[in-house]
Formats: sequence, C-alpha cells, structure tokens
Amino acid sequence: MACSAGGVIRLDMPSSPRYVSLARLVVSAVARGLDFSEESIDDLKIVVSEICTNAIIHCEPRREEQRIQLICCPRPGALTVEVRDSGQGFDPSCVGTFEEGLAAGKGFGIPLVRSLVDEFELESDHGKGTVVRVTKYDRLPESPPGPR
Amino acid sequence: MTDPNSQQTVLEIGYSRLGDYVVIELEGEVDVYTAGKLRDAIREKVEEGEYRLAVDLSKVAFLDSTGLGVLVGGLKRLNPHDGKLAIICDNERILRIFRITGLEKIFTIFPGAQALTETRAGD
Repeated sequence: MACSAGGVIRLDMPSSPRYVSLARLVVSAVARGLDFSEESIDDLKIVVSEICTNAIIHCEPRREEQRIQLICCPRPGALTVEVRDSGQGFDPSCVGTFEEGLAAGKGFGIPLVRSLVDEFELESDHGKGTVVRVTKYDRLPESPPGPR
Repeated sequence: MTDPNSQQTVLEIGYSRLGDYVVIELEGEVDVYTAGKLRDAIREKVEEGEYRLAVDLSKVAFLDSTGLGVLVGGLKRLNPHDGKLAIICDNERILRIFRITGLEKIFTIFPGAQALTETRAGD
C-alpha cells in the first residue's frame, strides 16, 4: 500500500469484542485527519466494526490467544484499511447477501461493508486466516454550476 | 458512547411504558461488545409476556450489523406470539443503516414516541 507522508498507522489488538470500539476510534481519527466528511467517517466506523467483528468470530474457539491487526494507509482523499486475523479462515464464496442475512438473522456484515466502500478485497482460506482490505474515497460536495 | 477511561463501548438500557407497548430505551453504542445486553433485554420482556415492544434508538450513537441482527432476532422471537417490535428513531445516521440493509421494510419505524402513540390510536 502506498501511503502519504504521514505513513501507515497500525493497531495490534487482542481478538476481543471490547477492543472493537478502539479500532473504530483509530480509523475515525485517521479519516478526520484527512478531512473526510462526517458521513464518510461514519461509513468507515461501521466498516471497521463489521470487519473486526468478523475477525473475532473467525478467531473462535481459541479467541483469547489470537490477535487482530488493523492497518490504516492514508492518502489524500482516500483511506485504505486492512484487517488481518490469524483465525480459522473461511470460504469467501460463502458470503451471502442482505436477503440471506435477513432470513438467517445474521450475516449482514460483509454485504454492508461492500455497500459502504469503493474497493473491497477479501483473502481467506481454511486454517490460513483472513485479510480484508477496503478503500474509501471521500466524496466532496459537488461544486455549484458556474456562470454561463 | 465510549467510556473515556477504558475506550470500551457503553450501552445503557432503560424501560418505559407507552400504552400497551414496552419501550426499551437505548443510549450509547450497539456493537459486538454490547449487543448481548439488548438481546437479553428483549428476551426478558418477551418472557415476562410483553409482546409489544418498541426499541428507542434515538440516543444511539452507533449501530452495526450485530445490533441489527439482535433486532431481527427479537422480531422472530415475537412472531409466534403475534407480537410487534417497533423502532423509534429520528437519527439519520442510524436510519441510513436500516435503509441500506433493506430493514426499513421489515420494521415499522417511528420518528418519536409521540408518533407511535398516534399510530396506535389509528390501529
């Protein structure tokens, strides 16, 4: 990931629900430093919360022994966030849709992430952990039309 | 809402009654750390025989899919009792998540407790 002069921000945290809010805090602070809009910051908080929650689930059953890495790569107008876990991994083709999540009462996470970011990559395999990488571009308000 | 000392998510839950609805009032953030409290609150009320619930999200600063899953689970828990689970929320940040996921079509969402009362009068 090619980052701006500020460089990469990394958070290495235990695979525990209590630290998901810390991940949100870090990502929102980085996005705010890039002057992202409040809506984009809200989107990123949800995105990171979803990905970290999934990472924690993937780290079961030996969750407390596992760690999750959050890597933020800021660039002007864009923020790439990568979340890595060393959990059990899963088959990415099993990721469902909103409709399937509705039927199951869960599984809204990845479809929600996809809808809130501009770029989405997921690498996972059984026994090899999971890497999710997303990029969000900030949407600046359109300029009003100039004089004709 | 995050505890400034621990950086842990905080969710406060209160209850009130509005006609035949029990209103579950939330304040704080609903995520994987706190969603269990909401799940327990809904389960307790259903076990007490309360089948008309309204979850007030007006003071919720953050809600992710874990929280949405708990609400959908509450709806399923109430279905066998012909119950209702309404949402009270005028917070655009939260409503946006309901729209994106399509859950606005599943839940009846009221902008405030007053609107819930008015609708009941028209039931």
